[in-house]
Amino acid sequence: MTPKTCAWLLLGAATFLLAACHPESTQGSVVLTQVPSGVPASRDATVLDARYPHGSRVVLLSPPFGAQSLRVLSEGLEAAGDPCVSWDGRSVYFAGKGRDGQGWQIYKVAAGGGSPERVTEAPGGAMDPAVAAHDELVYSSPVPMAGQLWTSTEAPALYGMLPGKAPRRLTFGPDGAVNSTVLRDGRVLYVSAAARDNARSQPHLCLYTVNNDGTEVTAYAGQDDGVDAVRRPRELGDGRICFLASQAYGPGSAEWAEGVRSAAPFATRANLFPFPGRGCRSVEPTPEGELLVCADTSGVAGRSMTAHAALFRVAPGAVELGAPVFDDPEWNSIEATCIAHRDGPAGHTTAVMPGASQGTILCLNANDSSDPAANGSGSPAAHLRVTAIVGAGQLRVLGSVPVAPDGSVLVRLPAGVPLGFDTLDGADRVLRHQPPVVWLQPGENRACVGCHEPRNHSPRNVRPLAVQTDPVSLVLSGTNPSP
Amino acid sequence: MKLKRSLFVAMTAAPALMAVVLGGGYGLRAHQRIKSGRPDLGFVSCNHCHQKSLAKLPWAQLRPHHDSPGGMVLSPDGKRLFIALDDKDEVAEADVATLAVLRRAKVPGGPFGLALDGSGERLFVACSHVDQVAVLDTHDLAEKGRVIVGVRPTDIAFCQTRDGEHLVVTNSGSDDISVLTPSPLAEVARISGGREPYAVTVTDGGRRVYVANRMAVHDGVLATPASEVTVLDPANGHIVDRLALDSAHMAEGITAVPKKGWVLNSMIRVRNLVPITQVKDGWVMTSGLAISQADGAVTQVPLDEANAYFSDPSGVVASPDGRRAFVASGGSDVVTVVDLDWLESWLARASAAERGDAILDMAFSYHYVLARIPTGCNPKHLALSPDGSRLFVAERLDDGVLVVDSASLKPLGRIVLGDGGRDDPIRQGERVFTRARYTFQGGFDCRSCHADGHVDGLSYDFDGSGVGDNLLDNRSLCGVAGTEPFKWNGKNPTLQYQDGPRFARVLMRTDPIPDPQLDELATFILHLPPTRTVPWDQVGKPLTPAQQRGRDLFFATKRPNGTPIPRSRQCQVCHRPPLYTNRLIASVGTQGPRDPKEGFDTPHLIGVGASAPYLHDGRARTLEEIWTVYQVNDLHGVSSYWTKLQLNDMVEYLKTL
Repeated sequence: MTPKTCAWLLLGAATFLLAACHPESTQGSVVLTQVPSGVPASRDATVLDARYPHGSRVVLLSPPFGAQSLRVLSEGLEAAGDPCVSWDGRSVYFAGKGRDGQGWQIYKVAAGGGSPERVTEAPGGAMDPAVAAHDELVYSSPVPMAGQLWTSTEAPALYGMLPGKAPRRLTFGPDGAVNSTVLRDGRVLYVSAAARDNARSQPHLCLYTVNNDGTEVTAYAGQDDGVDAVRRPRELGDGRICFLASQAYGPGSAEWAEGVRSAAPFATRANLFPFPGRGCRSVEPTPEGELLVCADTSGVAGRSMTAHAALFRVAPGAVELGAPVFDDPEWNSIEATCIAHRDGPAGHTTAVMPGASQGTILCLNANDSSDPAANGSGSPAAHLRVTAIVGAGQLRVLGSVPVAPDGSVLVRLPAGVPLGFDTLDGADRVLRHQPPVVWLQPGENRACVGCHEPRNHSPRNVRPLAVQTDPVSLVLSGTNPSP
Repeated sequence: MKLKRSLFVAMTAAPALMAVVLGGGYGLRAHQRIKSGRPDLGFVSCNHCHQKSLAKLPWAQLRPHHDSPGGMVLSPDGKRLFIALDDKDEVAEADVATLAVLRRAKVPGGPFGLALDGSGERLFVACSHVDQVAVLDTHDLAEKGRVIVGVRPTDIAFCQTRDGEHLVVTNSGSDDISVLTPSPLAEVARISGGREPYAVTVTDGGRRVYVANRMAVHDGVLATPASEVTVLDPANGHIVDRLALDSAHMAEGITAVPKKGWVLNSMIRVRNLVPITQVKDGWVMTSGLAISQADGAVTQVPLDEANAYFSDPSGVVASPDGRRAFVASGGSDVVTVVDLDWLESWLARASAAERGDAILDMAFSYHYVLARIPTGCNPKHLALSPDGSRLFVAERLDDGVLVVDSASLKPLGRIVLGDGGRDDPIRQGERVFTRARYTFQGGFDCRSCHADGHVDGLSYDFDGSGVGDNLLDNRSLCGVAGTEPFKWNGKNPTLQYQDGPRFARVLMRTDPIPDPQLDELATFILHLPPTRTVPWDQVGKPLTPAQQRGRDLFFATKRPNGTPIPRSRQCQVCHRPPLYTNRLIASVGTQGPRDPKEGFDTPHLIGVGASAPYLHDGRARTLEEIWTVYQVNDLHGVSSYWTKLQLNDMVEYLKTL
């Protein structure tokens, strides 16, 4: 063997060893949020301070999942949580609170460890990271005060931020848009409140989707069923969407896991597990088709009866939670997600025109509805009244547009504000009422089948009369009256 | 001295060169304006008029042929599977037990549809390329005879009727149905079908035949289209019924359901009249199954789900006990398993309104779709063993037949016919063409509107600058090589431009097709030959007198009274041979109230006889209507002097292109 060959062999061996020890060699590992046991949540702080009290951390847990195989990923931060792994399995995003007074922001760290890098500088903070196509970071901002997630006057909205680009606001609903996750079809699935007139009334939380350019906001599941509080939706590999449900808002031991089938999300809401699942803190899919579950050990054989969260691995068809795969008595394991390479979500070629001030809505038939008319009238809609929320929650009437004889309406409306719709009969009596909950992005053309039409319904193949003429334009002005 | 001379040469040569360039340019432009009759014309390249010969176009070149499985039929004992290989001009025979190909027989003319007689001794083959039906002896696969039928036969069924044996053949290119006697092999009737009769099934012990017509027809561009199911008595060839599948197109699969008295059609439920503002919620199209009951009632139900689509439903078969149906989704590479018992129970209790709206409910399939079986690329034809235990799936673009246990729904193996042609860029492009994953949620693929690269006969309203102002006729992709620019506004110089980011934004709503696949897609499209519109036995024959008279009109430069026809209004100036287009924008008085511009791309006319409707928004249902209804001030050719007979002659000529 020549010295040259020896040198090449040595170089090869060194490269192999370096690759093996490289922080990115993390396949099969789990990213875990640990909250110190017995530490009370900060009062008068944000929802994230309540969820991740001082000392909470994001760690990398490598097989065989012993306490010795932990590596802290949120090194140097006061608190951290809500990890999200990029689709290529190389990076971990999480919400972290630094010691620099910036509050909660989104941080990024190599999956194998390293120094976390702050990637957002959102005024009011950022939370709930998710990754869309082309490594676009999706997050919610601002971070509301504890207990005010659904009552805050400045509701958190979703933002999208491509690497190296400025963030773009995706949602403009009157209620918060939080807990985002990205579906394989590219849409962002998130939690918000069902449309309601009184912002002070108790919100019914449910799932919505929006494209990653903020267009086509759509009810996904839970608008018409279930308990009032849901959070942490996740797409499983078996055609289901799971989420945590509870009677009360915010994370706590009273949560359990539910799911819907994406094939019929409004008809299939059910418990995710066949066993009692109370005390569930998070559910995430694994590449092998199992579920990583963080749940309370209370009631688990051989464990204390006090609430304490550990990590479980649940196989498909399992009839019981089984024993935890990782349980550190000093810490509550409240969130866990696998590090794995997965096929990325579909992208979306945007039709948004940033310079435009309006978008266009086509309603195929304003009389097509699952709900009876409010006044019991059988008369068809004559006008569509459009409302919008402006400023600090003030409802304004943008105007009315005539409804074509076939029920269709084509109207150009301001972008970036929550829009509501009322159908009126010939005597201007309200037939159906939709509080402001949807919005348009600049230049967006979108359509709906009807007003309160059945969910997941496709349109009839009829040419709407309204498209035979140019759309009516309604604008926001200082003179828009209250309803 | 030298410098002086150089300076002198430069000072005299430069103006001379400039004069030549300017003069040449001026002359060239004058030539173009005179020859086109268009004084408004700016500079255009010479090859708008001086075109390549057709022989040099990609579709005229030799290309690789593949073992793409078409129609399949099992022997009565279920031991042998016969597979049509139209691209190879062969029929293969496979052993069902070993999944080995036992032998192949040469059957010239694109064998595509197969049928066996009751004893399994005679194999009837619909040869789509040559408009013939051949009969083979299954003992040695030797051809025993042939007969001419209509244009492009695609399927064939054997019926034992009260009046003896009959064969029914779907002639997709001539929109008719042939009824044959097998002994002797002869055509006894040819019946008008719907548009593009494509598949046939026999019911009621041979007393009825149902024919699926692939394309929809409509009474006007803004009217709801419908695809026809033609019901006939094979004994006498009489039409019994014409069922309408509302808003259905690409209805290319059909099967009878034993014990239930139903006929099932695979179909696409299209929403071409609704502006394409989105893809989600089935806004553009959805896959479905049409159930025709014995009383003539037709109910459509979806095959898609609320958040996922299974595009290009094609082959469909029902189990012998009538409890399950299997539907191939060519664009999604799955076979969907349908619970027919559930549907029977639902049909018994559903109101008429519920039955009518079922196809609109994207979540409805959750009740009766039992499974989705993954397959290879582009599953098309299906066959079930006589006992129903095995399902055979023709994986058309993978050159194989997947064999599935129909009880466990697990694959049992694969009959390998060819290598898949992975090295062939045209084949790779066809895979892109038929792959729905490039569309949001897999809603549809190129083929969903361009079956075999051709048209679906519908107009669509794409999401352009506004809503409702972009209603455009679907143009054929067959024979488009050399006819660029594309799109009705003539803005797209290449197919890559046409089908890339622009399509992603206005139609697919996903990331654009990646460049390598986009190039393959363009390669496939450029190799699509023009659609044949005349019967095979008339190809290359002299024009009939009527066609010749029509040709004379097409090339006329003067009216009969000697008045010159302005060049800009002579047919052959804009529709210049050999492509029958000068590839320029022309205004022919067809601008609609919401069309942003009055000029449109001049379409080529090769295969025009098969690409109805016409004009940019598809307002003309027939070639005749271009001049009888939508001609304005002789702007679209000078037709005001034509008699009715001359118009007929013109149409006859156009149908030969």
